[in-house]
Amino acid sequence: MSKTQKIETTMEIVRTLVGLVIAYAVALIILFAISDDPVFIVRQFILGPFSSPRRIGSVINLAIPFTICGLSMCFMYAVNRFNLVPEGIFMLSACMVTFVSVKLGNALPAPVMLPLLFLVAALTGIVMAFIPAIMERKFNANVVVVSLMLNSIIGFLATWIMRYHMKDNTISFIGSLELPENAQMPRLFSGVQEKEGFLAVLKSFRVQSGLIIAIFCVIIVAIVFYKTSFGWKMRLVGENPQFAGAVGLSAVGISFAAQLIGGGVAGIAGATEMLGNYTRFQWTATTQHGFDGLLVAVLAKKNPALVPIGALFLAYIRIGADVVNTSGDIPKEFITVIQGIIILLIAAESFMSGTKHKLIFKAAEKEEAERKQKQQANTAA
Amino acid sequence: MSIDWVAFIADAIRLSTPLIFAALAALICRQAGMFNMGLEGMILWSALGAVICAHYSGSMWIGLLGGIAVGLVSGLIIAFASISGKADLYLTCIAFNLAATGGTVFVMYLLTGEKSTTAGAFRSYQIPNLGPDTPIIGGLFKLIEKIPVIGRIISGQSLLTWLALLSVVLVWVLLKKTRLGLRIRAVGENPHAAESVGISVPKVGYVSFSICGVMTGLSGAFLSMSFVTFFMKGMANGRGYIGLSAQNMANGEPIGSALASLLFGFCQELSTTMKNQTTFPTEFLEMIPYAATIIALGITGMLAIRRRRRVESGQAAAKEE
Repeated sequence: MSKTQKIETTMEIVRTLVGLVIAYAVALIILFAISDDPVFIVRQFILGPFSSPRRIGSVINLAIPFTICGLSMCFMYAVNRFNLVPEGIFMLSACMVTFVSVKLGNALPAPVMLPLLFLVAALTGIVMAFIPAIMERKFNANVVVVSLMLNSIIGFLATWIMRYHMKDNTISFIGSLELPENAQMPRLFSGVQEKEGFLAVLKSFRVQSGLIIAIFCVIIVAIVFYKTSFGWKMRLVGENPQFAGAVGLSAVGISFAAQLIGGGVAGIAGATEMLGNYTRFQWTATTQHGFDGLLVAVLAKKNPALVPIGALFLAYIRIGADVVNTSGDIPKEFITVIQGIIILLIAAESFMSGTKHKLIFKAAEKEEAERKQKQQANTAA
Repeated sequence: MSIDWVAFIADAIRLSTPLIFAALAALICRQAGMFNMGLEGMILWSALGAVICAHYSGSMWIGLLGGIAVGLVSGLIIAFASISGKADLYLTCIAFNLAATGGTVFVMYLLTGEKSTTAGAFRSYQIPNLGPDTPIIGGLFKLIEKIPVIGRIISGQSLLTWLALLSVVLVWVLLKKTRLGLRIRAVGENPHAAESVGISVPKVGYVSFSICGVMTGLSGAFLSMSFVTFFMKGMANGRGYIGLSAQNMANGEPIGSALASLLFGFCQELSTTMKNQTTFPTEFLEMIPYAATIIALGITGMLAIRRRRRVESGQAAAKEE
């Protein structure tokens, strides 16, 4: 790695961290400015998420869908196609797995049922991601607009499926029939009987078993990105489409495939959340998970291995906002503003670019000086 | 099923108004070579800004100006991030829209203590509709109303609807007949070439975002001060994106974009009317405007590709000769 490259990589990390710190500071300032009891609220925001095992567990539980959605958006972002349909897929795949499992009932044993449901979810995702991707490929339609419109349509479609094909009429709110037992994924360590000790502590976190799926997905996606020729091609197409074209790669075909895979991953995210966290499907609008996934992918710089860290950070500030929301007078919506600021700061190339150029310039100057010294020494000798 | 077609058309035109403004906003940015997806968030902020300014000043006109000012500022924020900050425009806009969905609710909650609508907390102001009761030109509308069918459509439309039609002409003049318009188009066509003849590309970018901001301000003000008289969570409802596709359909031409917006307004009205008139699942009716957008994007894209192929084959034939 050359010196310039080294400086660039370090600066990228520093930039991301500084961006996060600034956004976090803005969040604190907002809280400080509008709260009646600022010290208490700020402390709640920072420390609240760690105040009980239950809350730590909720941070992890929330980070699970963020991680898988982030992985999904990594595929879209890596080929520079902002196909935002994971937002809709998350809801629709949750709806579809509920539909299939409600219709099948307890007919199949869990080891057969769960893989089947995940297959259904992934297929749902692939089919939905196919629509904007093919629209762009065949008709040159803008993928962002098509995917956003499609999200609205999907929201209505999922609501329709719930209301007309699996509504539970015995409950007072709008919701689907309950998931059969063999389709519900247990919480991790829920079988632990002991009241004390290490295992009991783990049990008290109430982490969903989607954690295993999320870790599994991170590993697989990281391998696809960095150890397969497809991953290499995909990154090349995203970073330098002209060069990719010049060496004979089909930019269109590869970005098309990447979008479909991303859709499939988003489907898995929806199914994981549904089967691990809920017993009924009752969403009537899309859940923002897709956009959160985009934020995570931006934070992780499209690197799947870093996605869990971004997801944990996002989950941490979200739970912080939830705690503040319940224990104070602050609406949790302020966090979306913070999210926007984070994306902006990290996406802005000129943010701290002056410092980067100075560092590179200094390094180059130093190298040049060393070279001259050597030359002088040589000529002197 | 009985539909009052005259009222239907009048309502469709009313529903098209915010879309026309949005399409004009989108097309100015497009002519300057930028695909501004942030419209959605800009409209949302303007709608809220209009209601707040009207409530605290007690004047409808200041509310309207406030909406426009908020739109202008939001346009400048996006311009600053993407032009001066060199952030990817798509990401900037997605971030901006995200911040707008939550941020408007946040601001609304701080001011009113409500999270879904300002209807109860804020006094409602309505930008006047032009009809026989309007001072000065009311007499004219009395005459117009006597014309069968058309009279009922024209009379009673909002002042902003008329302004939308006027804006179509103004934007057309701006782009085709003024020096600024020529510069905007030159930058959109080829920024490097424009720069080489001494046009400041960032400056033109900022100016187009400002004009775009004014248009979204009007669009937002229409939503919260004419269509209904309060602000509601997420009330832009995809109108920014629909405006973008309308502009896309017409290839960035003002008059065509306005006609495309009318088409989408028609689709929205169709969806509302059918909801009241039939027992068809409402979910599918609600999909109509969005599905229409996707289909329209597909069709226009297909036509554009076909046109290009024809030009290319013509060029090939010319070369052979």
